[in-house]
Amino acid sequence: MSIMSYNGGAVMAMRGKNCVAIASDRRFGIQAQMVTTDFEKLFPMGERLFIGLAGLATDVQTVSQRLKFRLNLYELKEGRQIKPKTFMSMVSNLLYERRFGPYYIEPVIAGLDPKTFEPFICSLDLIGCPMVTEDFVVSGTCSEQMYGMCESLWEPDLEPEDLFETISQAMLNALDRDALSGMGVVVHVIEKDKITKRSLKARMD
Amino acid sequence: MALEDVCKSRSRAKPASLLDFDVPVAECLQENPPRSGTPQNPLPFEMSHGTTTLAFTFQGGVLAAGDTRSSCSGRVSCPDAEKVKPIHSHLVATSSGTSADCTLWKRILARELRLYQLRHGRRVSTGGAAKLLWHMLLPFKGTKLCVATTLCGWDESGPAIFYVHSDGRRLRGTLFSVGSGSPYAYAVLDQAVESGMTAEEATRVAREAVYRATHRDAYSGNCVDIYLVTSTGWTRREREDLKEEYYRERKNLARPRSAHPKPALNETSMIEWSQPHPSKT
Repeated sequence: MSIMSYNGGAVMAMRGKNCVAIASDRRFGIQAQMVTTDFEKLFPMGERLFIGLAGLATDVQTVSQRLKFRLNLYELKEGRQIKPKTFMSMVSNLLYERRFGPYYIEPVIAGLDPKTFEPFICSLDLIGCPMVTEDFVVSGTCSEQMYGMCESLWEPDLEPEDLFETISQAMLNALDRDALSGMGVVVHVIEKDKITKRSLKARMD
Repeated sequence: MALEDVCKSRSRAKPASLLDFDVPVAECLQENPPRSGTPQNPLPFEMSHGTTTLAFTFQGGVLAAGDTRSSCSGRVSCPDAEKVKPIHSHLVATSSGTSADCTLWKRILARELRLYQLRHGRRVSTGGAAKLLWHMLLPFKGTKLCVATTLCGWDESGPAIFYVHSDGRRLRGTLFSVGSGSPYAYAVLDQAVESGMTAEEATRVAREAVYRATHRDAYSGNCVDIYLVTSTGWTRREREDLKEEYYRERKNLARPRSAHPKPALNETSMIEWSQPHPSKT
């Protein structure tokens, strides 16, 4: 069995008009057996910045904690919130430090610039190669299914409510075709003045 | 007869013997020896194996149930597969293992049983059908063929379940669960199955067992099929999607308990698991 599919999981982020949305499933399992249905894969890293981590569960927790540590030091030294693009470089650097014994995660970053509120999404591979896109990013055991759903459902300049609907449908239907992800979905929609967190009613098998 | 011509049976020069089973598949092994599935020649992709099927006997007959998810290397390739299928009017078979193998071998078994019935005017017993299937699978022992089926039938001696596996196992029993979700199903069945159950209780237990297995096991899911085999033949319960079951259960648990708690009903009532099951020594 592949290390990346040992625990299963899926995260995705989409860009809309002056907003971004990030979503993840909630399953934590060990190969075929589900252990809990409330495993956090989305972590706030700023007022309007989230990172989603899919892959080996232990690395999800370790990387999110080590990243938060580095981020706290940055904010203390700089005296301001980090920009999403800089945060992407920070994640890339953290992952490349382990180039020959990597963390088995594939992160996805979604956020708004703290000053201009420009939406930003990107994903990285497990050794830190960043990829910035204009539409959507996906990561996890059902990435092929998620790519298919996003390609067909996404359109540019979606308002926050429509973006929520789009990302929800993309996640739910992609997860239904993956045995190792699911057990609920959490969606954060990040706008200039508010962040809306919603849990979706999904198949629990 | 047209059927015999299609099946290429020998001509009826002498009266048919009771052991007159045509098993052409053994020849096909010589013509096409298995080339893949050996250590020197691994399979190009992983075959589907995950499932939850169960079968048990009780005073009302035999109950067979299964989920409907067919998965392949982590992907759900078919959310509405049929894992429990009737072979003839009084025999139902559950399948687990490789989907293609199970589908085909069920058809081959059904064909041979039907031919026997036409020639000899009576049905093969459940044990006999199991032995026939075991015999037909014997040449493939050691290959990557994987069929794990429980044959649930009603014959002259009453209800019977036989578990047949392509590695040569043939077991008679009163309760079986097969597949990756079977440990979870066994947990529910072992505490609730009694011979004196009614058909409705048995259906509820089977449904609960499959639901728990689909919740915990990644490779089981989607819907549940339930068949009941009695002396008059098999009957099928309509396929039920278990999507809402989790939320229905959460709603039931959140309600304040009264002296006689009534669970929220759909067509099948839910068993109240709050009372401890009377222990048996």
